[in-house]
Amino acid sequence: MLDIRGLTVRYSGLPVLKDINLTLEKGESLSIIGESGAGKTTLGLSVMGLVEGCCEGEILFQGKNLLSLKEEEIRRLRGREMAMVFQGVEGALHPLYTALDQVAEAIAVHSRKDAGSIRKKALGLLLSAGLDETTACFYPHQLSGGLKQRALIAMALANSPEILILDEPTASLDAGTKAEILALLNKLAGDRITIMITHDIHSAAYFSDRVAVLYGGRLIEQGPTGEVFKSPLHPYTRGLIRSCPDLSTTKDLQGIPGRMMPGVTGCSFHPRCTQRIHLCSLDIPEPVVTGGRLVACHRGGIVPLLEIKKLSKIFGKVKAVREVDLTLYQGETLALVGESGSGKTTLARTVMGLLKEDGGEFCLEGANISKRDAFFYQRVQMIFQNPMESISHRMNVLQAVREPLDINRPGDEEANNHLVRKALDEVELPGDQYFLNKYPHHLSGGEAQRVAIARALVLEPRVLIADEPTSALDASIQAKIIKLMLSLQEKRGLAILLITHDIALARKVSDRMAVMLKGSIVEEGPAGKLLGSPRHQYTRLLVNQSESPAKSMIL
Amino acid sequence: MINRGYCINYLLALMVILTLNFMLPRLMPGDPLQAIYGDEAMIAMTPELKEELISRYSLDLTQAGQFRAYIGSLLRGDLGYSYYYNVPVAAVLLGSFPWTALLVGLALCISTGLGLFLGIESGYRRGRTVDRLLLGGFMWISGLPDFFVGMLLLLIFGVTLGLVPLAGAVTPYTGQGWAPALIDGLRHLALPLASLVLARLTATYLLARNTMITTMGEPFIMTARSKGCSGPAVRYRHAGRNSLLPVVTAAGLQLSHLITGALFVEIVFSYPGMGALMYNALLTRDYPLLQGILLLSAVTVLTVNLLVDLLYKRIDPRVAYAH
Amino acid sequence: MHINYWGEIKRDSLGRAGMGTLVVLALLAIGAPIVSQYQPAEYTGAIFQPPSSQYWLGTNDVGQDIWAQLLYGARTSLLIGSGAALLSTFFSVLAGGMAAVLGGFGDRVLMRAVDALIAVPPVIVAILAAAYFRPGASMLIILLSAFLWPGGARLIRSQALSVKERMHIAAARTFGSSWPYLIRRHIIPDLGPVLTAILVLNFRRAVFMEAGLSFLGVADPTVISWGKMMQQALKFSYLEVWKWWLLPAGAALSMTIAALTFTGFALEKAINPRLKK
Repeated sequence: MLDIRGLTVRYSGLPVLKDINLTLEKGESLSIIGESGAGKTTLGLSVMGLVEGCCEGEILFQGKNLLSLKEEEIRRLRGREMAMVFQGVEGALHPLYTALDQVAEAIAVHSRKDAGSIRKKALGLLLSAGLDETTACFYPHQLSGGLKQRALIAMALANSPEILILDEPTASLDAGTKAEILALLNKLAGDRITIMITHDIHSAAYFSDRVAVLYGGRLIEQGPTGEVFKSPLHPYTRGLIRSCPDLSTTKDLQGIPGRMMPGVTGCSFHPRCTQRIHLCSLDIPEPVVTGGRLVACHRGGIVPLLEIKKLSKIFGKVKAVREVDLTLYQGETLALVGESGSGKTTLARTVMGLLKEDGGEFCLEGANISKRDAFFYQRVQMIFQNPMESISHRMNVLQAVREPLDINRPGDEEANNHLVRKALDEVELPGDQYFLNKYPHHLSGGEAQRVAIARALVLEPRVLIADEPTSALDASIQAKIIKLMLSLQEKRGLAILLITHDIALARKVSDRMAVMLKGSIVEEGPAGKLLGSPRHQYTRLLVNQSESPAKSMIL
Repeated sequence: MINRGYCINYLLALMVILTLNFMLPRLMPGDPLQAIYGDEAMIAMTPELKEELISRYSLDLTQAGQFRAYIGSLLRGDLGYSYYYNVPVAAVLLGSFPWTALLVGLALCISTGLGLFLGIESGYRRGRTVDRLLLGGFMWISGLPDFFVGMLLLLIFGVTLGLVPLAGAVTPYTGQGWAPALIDGLRHLALPLASLVLARLTATYLLARNTMITTMGEPFIMTARSKGCSGPAVRYRHAGRNSLLPVVTAAGLQLSHLITGALFVEIVFSYPGMGALMYNALLTRDYPLLQGILLLSAVTVLTVNLLVDLLYKRIDPRVAYAH
Repeated sequence: MHINYWGEIKRDSLGRAGMGTLVVLALLAIGAPIVSQYQPAEYTGAIFQPPSSQYWLGTNDVGQDIWAQLLYGARTSLLIGSGAALLSTFFSVLAGGMAAVLGGFGDRVLMRAVDALIAVPPVIVAILAAAYFRPGASMLIILLSAFLWPGGARLIRSQALSVKERMHIAAARTFGSSWPYLIRRHIIPDLGPVLTAILVLNFRRAVFMEAGLSFLGVADPTVISWGKMMQQALKFSYLEVWKWWLLPAGAALSMTIAALTFTGFALEKAINPRLKK
């Protein structure tokens, strides 16, 4: 068992790792993910006792605290009880010795056996790692990247260590070799403790039982691999997953605003976090256990902004919405799809209070909402299908966009005009007098929808409900409006409930999807999974409908 | 397999030296024989001797014919005739070459070994007191020309302290027995050797230290440490092995410096090697002898350089397989 | 390579010491007639005088003022050193630059020649040539340059080749600039740091070789030189006189070479950032 307690590492005074707590049982494999500079490699080095900086805390292994051992004592453990494969296949092998010599040395350092039997054992190790008798005697420059990595793995396993640390074992390899190396690692890992340091979440997902996410030297999330990747709790974990493309990626790649900065007070992620509160910049969040996982966030992970519970709406005898449960999280896009008449728009309008609900309740940021007041509308805004109609034809652009402000915060006209210009700037519209004086009929469809979005955003809401926001627009304009909405999401952490009948569009923009049929949600889940392997037959039908015309055109 | 490129380079270099040797006396104004033997010798020369020398140097032939004759006589081992010693140049050289070889060979071994050791230890401890002291010290020593180092040692240990003999390689007419003779030889050798080593140590030291510093940052050093290799094993088997490469490459160049250095140091200590011989030849204007000395030194340098190139392939597998 | 190498040298304490020493030496050499009341070849009439207020470093075996000889020796060292450094670097640029620009056959021929010349031990051949020519100052500069240039040529060729591939050169070529223009406006300025390093290195070797040749007495005997002073002083090592005759000359020579080494080392550190920290 490896038990890291309160590990802090400083390089010339600057902390690189802060208060790390990790426990690994025998046979467990853990991936440490995070971007470069997060301190991943330092964590590995500190277990090996190879950190140049100064360490505090404890690393307990076999009843000993590795940090308090003398250099000579820990040297005897290195390579025997714990081994590390270093990043950078190209330089990690000594250029002047053959692969066999180097593996044999790893054994000889800890063994008193004669040279012959050591070489035999080394050869056996290399063979099981996938080299053959010829390549085993090659110098590193004669080996391919994949073979070099195999030799390095064989070297690390030379004395069957209890702990195996792999630093970016697949970073510089091509896709095919990467898969082979991962398979080899899986085969050879056995019942030892394996720690894989990587920025590649696919390798992590394939290889490890558990994942720990490191940011700015702190562990911010930890849990079983599948769960962490399926429903990340920390906003950073979600950002990391969103930034990595794979073939089943549905939503466009989305980055994380800003970059990692050293010397941040409070939560190290807060300058980039879109759901930060004042506390985040003051206090360091303690890791809290939630549902078998550990997350260090003052807000308990990604916040559920809008929760809809058992919502029903009845028109006469028709149950337009039947006991719908939906949760919209901060910074995500939830697409509500279904054919016309399935009750999507009714749901949206009921949420907004345009229709009175006939059962169920709402929570906004955890608080129960009984009536829609200024508090609600400042946080939840909606844009409508037809922008031309949603803006009064008697209002010019300035008045239209200022309307929500005039209603919610009447008074300082100059300040409000400034906010209007800012909102227009955000939706990439000019803020000059000429444009401000235009009336809806002067605007093109795209411009009008941008004005509508600016109007919805001027109150800086957290939730945006968009009901078919692009169906009235040309395809080229649609693309721009959708990109605009996503970039606003990335910047401000806006939660978007997108109502659409267009599955292809929903696929490109949503993190999660909910399928509505006759007033009920029949299926809900991550967009990629839901479209890749739909479970409900109605979902399958929808997917087929949107696929077939395109397919028949191509084939 | 011997690389053709190397050999061609050295053959070309040899040609350059031979041509220079041949051309220089003939470039001088006036009679080439006068240039070869100098003014003093010409006055004392009898007409018969002059005739014989003209035919000996083929001076009655065309330039091309003369060059062919020159190369031909070199191939027969005929380096010319020393006017001053009145014997063939080759015979004179044979008497002093072993002393220089002894001096230079020992200096090469000691300065390479010591330079490697100090460079590796110093580079490993970069920035610490030992490293700073060594680096600073060697930077100062590197400013001292080898003959000045020799003079300082001679004046301090020989003249002022009287610890060692001032000149020569052996004390003439001492008693029998190999042990006293060996000690006597070492006592004579100590100062010239020390000045050569001191003057040439810096180059090896700096080279080894610089390579060591870059090597210590390589990932394979981390790999070695994570295997559990001990400090000396990391330092020598892993990082040091890498620092050996440029030092060996530079050994040829180093040897060229050592031989020229030895020529000067021998003059200071009147050590009976080729340097002292050269000084004498310069004073007496014994040009054939001078030419022979320089030709022999140059050829030695070229041969050793070629050997180093061949050796290099044996210690760096990357080069061996590249050809 | 955008390195403010002047700044780098100034920041490095060794480099500063080296540059400072060189400047002081140059000032002393230039102001020799002012700093010393004697001419170096002038016979004062008093031989083997110990240092005194009249003869700061005493006099030698024929009664010449040693202090004056030391100062004029600095002139010789610096003149021949800088002359040979400039001339040999010019040769290096010419050969290396041409090899880089020509490429192909011309490159191969030039580099083969350079490789062969690098293998020739320069001091040995220089001794031989000097023994015949008995060169004066300008002849010596040419002679030394003839043996110093090949090393630099190789360096400049490899640098120029990498410079040639740089983006701004490619950009200039798309504007239709000629090779002479490129060499003048782009390649040489980019080669600046390497050129300076070669210049310093060659300076150092030339000072060293000049001293060696005059120590052997093969240079023009009328030229005042530290090497020659040491040669003559060595003959009188049985007298106390070496303390103010031999030592100052040797120390001055060592100081000059050390100053050049320091400057070169600081430069190398500036160029090779891996050595820094």
